[in-house]
Formats: sequence, structure tokens, C-alpha cells
Amino acid sequence: MRKRDWLGAGALVALLAALPLFLENRYFTGVFTVCAIDGIWAASWDFFSGLSGRENFGHALFIGGGAYAAAFMNGKFGFNPWWSIPVGIVVPAALSLVIGFPTLRLRGPYFALAMLAAAAIMQQFAVIFWQYTGGTEGIYGMSRLIDSSLGNYYFVLATLVATVAVLKAIAASRWGRILRAIKGDEGACEAAGINTTFYKIASLALSAGFAGLGGVLFAHYEQAVTPDDLDVFLSISVIIMVYVGGIGSIWGAACGGILLNLLLELLRGLGEYRLWVFYIILMLVLFFMRGGLVAPFWQRLQGSRA
Amino acid sequence: MLTVLIYGAVTSAIFAMLAVGFTLIFGVARILNLAHGTFYALGAYSAFALTTILKVPLLPAAILSVAFVALFGIVMERVLVRPLRNSALAVLMITLAVALTMQQVLFLVFGSQSKNVPAFINHPVTIHGVSVDGQRLVALSIAIVLIASLWLFIHRTRVGSAILAISQDAEAAQYMGIPSNRIFSLVMGLSAALAGAAGVIAAPFLTVRPTMDLVPMITAFSVVIVGGLGSIPGSILAALIIGYSETIVAFYWNPQWTGAISLIAVLLTLVLRPSGLMGKPISL
Repeated sequence: MRKRDWLGAGALVALLAALPLFLENRYFTGVFTVCAIDGIWAASWDFFSGLSGRENFGHALFIGGGAYAAAFMNGKFGFNPWWSIPVGIVVPAALSLVIGFPTLRLRGPYFALAMLAAAAIMQQFAVIFWQYTGGTEGIYGMSRLIDSSLGNYYFVLATLVATVAVLKAIAASRWGRILRAIKGDEGACEAAGINTTFYKIASLALSAGFAGLGGVLFAHYEQAVTPDDLDVFLSISVIIMVYVGGIGSIWGAACGGILLNLLLELLRGLGEYRLWVFYIILMLVLFFMRGGLVAPFWQRLQGSRA
Repeated sequence: MLTVLIYGAVTSAIFAMLAVGFTLIFGVARILNLAHGTFYALGAYSAFALTTILKVPLLPAAILSVAFVALFGIVMERVLVRPLRNSALAVLMITLAVALTMQQVLFLVFGSQSKNVPAFINHPVTIHGVSVDGQRLVALSIAIVLIASLWLFIHRTRVGSAILAISQDAEAAQYMGIPSNRIFSLVMGLSAALAGAAGVIAAPFLTVRPTMDLVPMITAFSVVIVGGLGSIPGSILAALIIGYSETIVAFYWNPQWTGAISLIAVLLTLVLRPSGLMGKPISL
């Protein structure tokens, strides 16, 4: 990271931190809280799939796993809400091992398909076993992590910054280089004596843990979980966020999450149709801007100055 | 016992119709089509629209529905998938986007209540003292006929040989003058038609709803992974295994758990025999 990148990141975080102070309004604070949570989801997706090239089509499994873990801990058993965080990280990480171990050893589309299937089947279970999960209504009546909505926003924002910083640091280390090398040529990595399966599974578990953390924050923000937290639409939204932000850059993905959520908020008047805007953005990005928007834009800005 | 045998056969036949199309388009064009369940839903919905709203008699309505779904598949491949074919991720994304968009379209046009599609035969048929509703038997026979004719088409005709040639080595086939893009369109059409037909014949005994596409699609690709990606006989065998397992679980234990079967089957297959029952060996 160069000096300018630090400045840019600092300015962005300062802006995000200052905005709710100017827009003294609970509604906007809520919008920005969800934006920051989306940023965590997108960054965690990008860390594994963006770097290693193994596309995860069921990120909602981890998000919803964390959210439901939090709902069971706090909403059902009445534990202190802060207990949700460790449990909501461990549960999705464990789920990721169950799916990752059989599928990530293999080349081919098995991982993408298995993740899609696992998330959809978990969602079905969340509806079918309504005695425990509340069915389509979900579990509600959870307490907040921090009562003041501004305080909660700063906590979520700090978590986002920490998530991006940790994932970015790992991505810049040897570990991240191995993941990128796996994307480039897995055979060559293995020939160099690297246990690629270990790195893939460990990275997926890390990605799942952070996604679960985002799920916990979301569940406590909404004070409820529903089967929508496991929906395919959530999974694909996260991928679109990463695409818009610029795949493989992590911070770009986080920005993509924030941007897309703001856009969705602005389009609230369109009702159900605003989802179509998502698909149109997806098609534009897929057909015309494969590299994404945010990260390439920043790089170009740098290039023109340098 | 006989009930399980018959119901299992019907379920397996529907799964096989879905899985064969899914594996065919993957084997030939390397397209993983996440909109495959959409074809199935579109088949059921167009049968509903034609028979109930436009009052078309059932048989022509069924044929028109299948043709419509095939056309939809071809147009989707031509317009959306082909420009992105060099990136597997982009294909997955765009087909999933098509699936979610169509779900929304069906919801806006037909609403969220489930619809009834008329059956070819309404009265139950008794076999050895077991009463089975007639439509399930019709579905079973149509499925067998369609899959058998697809098999004959691939193995006995010139175009079929071209399909096989591309699935074995796309580049070499192209050097031999096989127009691969046209074959891709054809295969996409066939795959969509098969899934659409499954939707039409299964619709009378299923709930026809906008969200009906996801579960069959997941089952279809579970069947395909268990059978071996790209292998048609493997898909049929795996469809029988998964179809019967689901029926047995639903009958003797609890219908709620059927959804878990396909996921467990996929994970077991990938641990024990990653290439599937009859797939080509794949590198670990």
C-alpha cells in the first residue's frame, strides 16, 4: 500500500464516520449501518473467491449461519448478545469445513454448485423446522448489541475497517500470494510443494467466519432473522457487490457493498422493481466492465497523477 | 412396497429428464446452466397459461409449451450466454440472474398462489391392488419415451455424432468442420425442451409456484454430480438412486428430510468417488 492509498482509505473512513453526524437522523444511520454490514459480506466473499478464483455461490449459507446462530443464542436461549459474536463466527466456519473439505479438493464447478445447493437446502430447513426456527417468520425479539443506533453504527463501521484491514493484510502476505497463485495455476503450486487444499479450505473458513460476523451484526441490527438471510438472492447480491467494486481487491469489494446498498436505498420508491436494477447493473458489469468500477477507477486516478 | 416402487419410478423419471438436459449442455458446451430449473417452471406455467387462460386443448398446449421453452433456451444461450462463454463465473452469474429474473416475472404475471395444471388422465389407475393417479403413469411413460428418443438421436443420427464429437474434443470437432455454435444452440434447445416437458407433465401433481424452479434445479445438479458430470447414463442411474432414496425417506420416515438427500449424496460422492458413478476420471 502506498501513501496515497492510506490517505484515500483514511478519507473514506472519515467520511463514513462523519456522515451520520451531519445527517442527524436515525433512518440514515440505519442505512449506513446496513451499508457497512454489506461491505463486510462483500469483503469476506472477495477474500476467498476473488483471490482463489473459486466462486462461492452460497455465501448466504455463512451469513445466515451466523445470523441464526446469533438468533438461537440471544433470541431463544437468552444469552448476552455479545456471546453471539464468537458463536456466529465458529458456526459458519464449521459449516464451511463440511462443504469445503469434499469439494475444494476437486477442480471444476463442484464447489460453486455445492455451495448453492447447501445454502438453498439450509433455507428450506429453516422453513420446514418451524418449531425451532420460526419458519418464514423467523426468530425475532433479539436485543441489540449496542442500544444507541449511532454507537451501533460506529461499532459496525469499526468491524468493517478491521475486517478489511485483516483480510487485506493476509492477502498481501505469503498466504494471499498462494491464493492468487492457485487462481493462476494450481498444478504449478502443487508442483512447488504447496498444500493447496489446506490453503483453500483455511481461507474459506476465514471467509465464512467474517461473513458470519457480518450475519451476527445484521441479525442484532434487525433484531430478527428470517429465512431470507439464507436466500440465493443474498448470495448473488454479494457477488454483484464484489463485481461492482472490483474483484480481488477486498477494499474495492467493501466499497461495492456500500455503494450498491446506498443505490438500493435510493431506489426504495421502485418497490419490488428495484431488484431488476440489480440485474441490469450485473449485466452492464459482466458485458462491459469485467474489472469492476471502484478499484479500477482508483487505480486510473492514481495513474493520471503519477 | 409396490407404491414406493411406482412413485419412486415416477420421481426418478422426472429427475432424469431434468438431469439429462443439464448434463448434456455441460458435456457439450461446458455451460453450467443455473437457469435450468427456470425451464422446468416455464414449462409448467406455459401449460397453465395455455390451458386455463387461453383454453387451448391439453395436447397442443403441451407441445406449444415445450416449443416455447426450447425457444427461450435458445434465445438465452444466443443473447446472454454466448458472449460470456469464455468465463465460467460470468456464465454462472448470468444464468442465475436469468433464473431470479424469471422468478420475479412469473410472480408479477401470475401471482404467488399455486396454480393447477390439468392432467392428461384424472382418474386413478389400479395396479396389483395399488391405486396410482393416472397422470403419474403418463409422466413416467412420456419421460421414458423422451429420454430413449434423445438417446437414439445422439447415437444414431449424423447430428448426434456431431454432438458427441464436440463433447469429446470441441477443438478437434471444429477442425473437422462441425459448426459448434449451431450445435450449442441445438443442444441448449434440446436441454430446455426436456426440462420444459418435465415441467408440463409433472405440473398436475406438483405445486406450480414462481419459486418452483430452485429445488428441482438443485436436485438436477445433485443427480448430475452423483452420476458424473457430462455422462447421460450416469445421470439416469443417479436419478434412480436419488429418486428412490427420496421416495423411501418420504414414505417411511419424514417427507421433510427429502431435501437433505441430494446434498448428502453430493458430498458423499465427492468424498468417495469424485468423478461420479459413470463420469470420466477427474483430477484431484
